[in-house]
Amino acid sequence: MAAYLFKRLGGLVLVLVVMSFIVFCLQAIIPADPARALAGPSAPPETIAQIRTELGLDQPLLAQYGTFVRHLAEGNLGTSIRTRQPVAADVLKYGPASLELIIAAMLLGTSLAFILAFAQTTMRRSGAVRLGMLAAGSFPIFLTALLLAYFLWFKLGWFPGSGRLDIRRFTGPTGLFVLDGLLLGRPDIALNALWHLALPALTLSVPIAISVGRSLNSALVDVLRQPYIRTAHGKGLSGGRIFLRHGLRNAASAPLAMLGLQVGLLYGNLLIVERIFSWPGLGLYTVQSFASSDLPAILGVAMVFGAFYILMTMLVEILQSVADPRIALR
Amino acid sequence: MTPPATFDQPDTSILSIRGLHVRLSRDGRPSTVLDGIDFDLDAGEVVALVGESGSGKSTIGLALQGLLPAEAQPEISGSIRLAGREIVGAKPHDLRAIRRSLVRAVPQDPMGALNPTMSIGKQLREGGLSADEVVEWLARTGLPAPQRIAAEMPHRLSGGQRQRVLIAMSMAARPRVLIADEPTTALDVTVQAQILTLLKDLAREHNTAILFITHDLAVAAELADRVMVLYGGRVAEVGNTTTLIGAPLHPYSAGLLSARFDLDSDRSRQLGTLSSEQRRARPNGAHCNYVTRCPLAGTDCAERRPDLVRQPDGRQVACFHADRVPDLLAQSREAPAWPEAAAGDANALELYRITKSFGSGGGLFQRPRQTQVLAGIDLRIQQGECVALVGESGSGKSTLLRIAAGLLPPDEGDVSWFGGVQPQVVFQDAVAALTPWLTVDEQIRDRLRPLGLSRAEQNSRIAAALELVGVDPALRNALPSELSGGQCQRITVARAVIVPPRLLLCDEPISAMDVSLAAQTLNLLGSLRRSLGMAMLFVTHDLAAARLIADRIAVLEKGHLVEIGEPDQVISAPQAPYTKTLVGAVPRLAS
Repeated sequence: MAAYLFKRLGGLVLVLVVMSFIVFCLQAIIPADPARALAGPSAPPETIAQIRTELGLDQPLLAQYGTFVRHLAEGNLGTSIRTRQPVAADVLKYGPASLELIIAAMLLGTSLAFILAFAQTTMRRSGAVRLGMLAAGSFPIFLTALLLAYFLWFKLGWFPGSGRLDIRRFTGPTGLFVLDGLLLGRPDIALNALWHLALPALTLSVPIAISVGRSLNSALVDVLRQPYIRTAHGKGLSGGRIFLRHGLRNAASAPLAMLGLQVGLLYGNLLIVERIFSWPGLGLYTVQSFASSDLPAILGVAMVFGAFYILMTMLVEILQSVADPRIALR
Repeated sequence: MTPPATFDQPDTSILSIRGLHVRLSRDGRPSTVLDGIDFDLDAGEVVALVGESGSGKSTIGLALQGLLPAEAQPEISGSIRLAGREIVGAKPHDLRAIRRSLVRAVPQDPMGALNPTMSIGKQLREGGLSADEVVEWLARTGLPAPQRIAAEMPHRLSGGQRQRVLIAMSMAARPRVLIADEPTTALDVTVQAQILTLLKDLAREHNTAILFITHDLAVAAELADRVMVLYGGRVAEVGNTTTLIGAPLHPYSAGLLSARFDLDSDRSRQLGTLSSEQRRARPNGAHCNYVTRCPLAGTDCAERRPDLVRQPDGRQVACFHADRVPDLLAQSREAPAWPEAAAGDANALELYRITKSFGSGGGLFQRPRQTQVLAGIDLRIQQGECVALVGESGSGKSTLLRIAAGLLPPDEGDVSWFGGVQPQVVFQDAVAALTPWLTVDEQIRDRLRPLGLSRAEQNSRIAAALELVGVDPALRNALPSELSGGQCQRITVARAVIVPPRLLLCDEPISAMDVSLAAQTLNLLGSLRRSLGMAMLFVTHDLAAARLIADRIAVLEKGHLVEIGEPDQVISAPQAPYTKTLVGAVPRLAS
């Protein structure tokens, strides 16, 4: 286990170095001048030259890369052109909102996946479930978001369509408002935060629920045909116990891998969903950075999500080996 | 569902089956699998249920546990009484209780029958054992270090160890009836004998009756008090083991017996086979199930169905012509001798210092582990000679065959064929070795294309080849899916020999066959190689088959050739300790 973690974390560093190189090259190639962007369109050439020196842009490329990597190692992702704040500070500011949304979407998606897979595996006529999953799965995410917003917010008014809380200027120790509300002894805030989470989390959870659910269903169908299930029946165990103790765990590996993959793909959907529901997280931050060609911000967030993806893959592998001891971590 | 017939259950019997009919659907088509079974099992008795695949023997085992596969939409009628409790039509709750304490099963394939993600100990405790009892039962099945085994996951154990675990799991419930469905077929010969002894001892100790399902009469003879021969879902013959095996009265039992071969069979002539795959068409209406294959069938067999009739010596037989069976058996002992062989002195195959290793694992920073499969093998096969290569699974015999076929390059060493012509191969799984969308004709014709023959010449060659392997030429346009497994194997042989190769390589061609089919295939290969003057390398784990077919036997142990010699010499006076173990493990009818 220790050797595995060491290896994977080593891999994480390696990937980050490669990503940093690509990111640096992009910055160097793209014909946007950060110094001019910072100084503003009407600044005199001397000011621009001064900023250039401050940023080290007059140095040779290799030296610039060295500085870039040194900054990265110190946790310095550069300075955002739009917010004029260090990107790292922006990530810390907007990150918790996205993290809360991702966690909610994963929990909701996994629960829905279980329900769908269970219905499909046990129901005699599961054609309707299958058809519904196919239909929902063929929707692009922005359409899902718009449909949910239109009906559940605009028409029925059950859930809010934007923002994280009704209270303005709330800050908590973790930045995850549901958790903060509970920690501060304010269940009303936790509930309000949950209420706001509902629509964006549900939208994000749809592709997770469908892909993981489908994968879990086919794994279950396969596992329930295995000879050891007959052995379990032969012992006189009850059907429920056989499903839970002998079926589910053996079917876990493929859906877990699918879950890891889906979380990796979440970043793209996050941009759209946060934009539509005005969710003040890293997705919205990235969209706004795009609008103002804020390259350091975009690339900084990309690096953060790259690291997040690798950590999630690692978590999935660990979970797989817990579920199935034949999978050795290496 | 018909209500259970009233009948008197003999006081001593623990299990009574009356009028059991089972229909199962496969791909939406229902077919009758069990067609009226009547049977009693006494407490503590061991009964062998013998029959070929498709005879319904495994279905009886499943019906006894109330575990007929739901996806086959089973229709069941009749009565199964187990210790006074009716199983047919019982509620799921009652069936679970019956399975917990009255009837248990030891499965055919121990590799798949244990949950791979649950420790051995936990799987045993699920059956209601305490941790101490688990260790005690594992120890009783002869497993070393039971404490350690209980903590292990199934994939860390060998096949034999897993089967012991499954026996412990079943016997610990102290069932009244134990169903053992071919519990040793997936195991190596050396382990088979130990497992059989273990089963028998435990059953005797706890007065558990065993229903032992097998296709091998010799295994049945070693273990059972009584034998029940099943054909096409009906009982053909039931009787005391010694009487039945000494003088069978049903032509099907006689066929099984005459086709069976062991280390004492006469190897100067072909094996006696009494049944064919298909002799005549199945008649409409009531008829004997065996009529299509029976050498004694008369018009009465096609018009009426024979009932089980009790004979003076106590056994029961379902045949109108039982009195003619002894003559039939005598006749089968005069099977034709092998044709004259044409031999030469040149080497058809020469293997020189063949070495092969396979790597596993490994990664960016780790060197892969190398496992040596073959360690410097020297082997020469002369023209017209047949060498059998025997050894357990993992001994490297299939790898050596693939190297000899030129399908796999050796790490070191040389392979040379006479005239440099690549040999032909007959594989174990004949169905998989045929292309599913090509007809028989097309599969065979492919081999003739390079010869530049005219269409008419090709046709006559194909007809001759089909005739040679005993396949009806009418099947030329059939697809592999329309043929039986035995017919598929014949087609692969026809394809291999239509242009007679100098060397034919056979990889376990009979291991998936029941006795009568295996005997026919051995006869076919043995005759063909002599009449066509082919050299042959015959890979098998079955020492008796090796002895029958080969001029020399080569024994492979963990990649080393430990012994090679004349079959009878190798078997009667084995030199290597490993050969002695192999020879000792083969079940014999005579003993």
